Amino acid sequence: MDEAFGVDERTEGDLLHLAVRGELDLATAPMLRERLYGAADRSSGPLIVDLLAVTFIDSTALGVLIGTQERCQERGIDLRLVLEDARILKIFEITGLTELFAISPTVTEAAAR
Amino acid sequence: MSGAVEDGSEVRTMSEPVELSIPIQSDLILLARLTAATVASRAGFDVEEVDDLRLAVDELCVLVAEDGGSGRLRLTFTTAGDTIEVVCALDGGESQDGGRPDEHGERELSVRILDALVDEHGEEFDGGQRRGWLRKRGVRHGPS
Repeated sequence: MDEAFGVDERTEGDLLHLAVRGELDLATAPMLRERLYGAADRSSGPLIVDLLAVTFIDSTALGVLIGTQERCQERGIDLRLVLEDARILKIFEITGLTELFAISPTVTEAAAR
Repeated sequence: MSGAVEDGSEVRTMSEPVELSIPIQSDLILLARLTAATVASRAGFDVEEVDDLRLAVDELCVLVAEDGGSGRLRLTFTTAGDTIEVVCALDGGESQDGGRPDEHGERELSVRILDALVDEHGEEFDGGQRRGWLRKRGVRHGPS
């Protein structure tokens, strides 16, 4: 059984790290939007969105990530994604979003960008 | 799942369609994904193909349901040979508030995903009813 959707948040210096888990789809996109937009609006430094524990992602969740990127750009902060699962990465590749997002395979690498 | 051995190779013929009818509630699209994975697995699709069909059916549901309001999604999964066809029809839907938000090009993302993951797909209006369909061919591994 896939892990239920959830977001854990922690701050390290000026980095805001959000670890997302579960399936990101039409059902969970509104909750994801609330958490990510909220973080983008109040973060004072780079925003790291860790998708390592995400088991499914569809176009509605990708739309939320694009919206988060736009909010981050408006505020002049970096959005950095962390993902390694080949199945999830494939969705970013076929939609051309690997060109839009800064993607790292680990949180440590994302923090060091 | 039908199957027969002919000259040592697996021959698969058309099987009974699987039908699913769900209210348009975002959390119930999960049932469409589960059904897609089960049908693909039983048809002998490999792990990657099962994942592809699961995501493709999710996107098909989202596209068809986008202005569906209070309607139901009626899905039919048909396996014929090495191909699965999925038809998703909207029953009794009404537009509400402009439908699915598309401020970040989500509809285009859905189409790109379907283009990449299935062999054919399309959408049509028939008698005032919105329908979407897809076909995906799998590698023949034999039924599990």
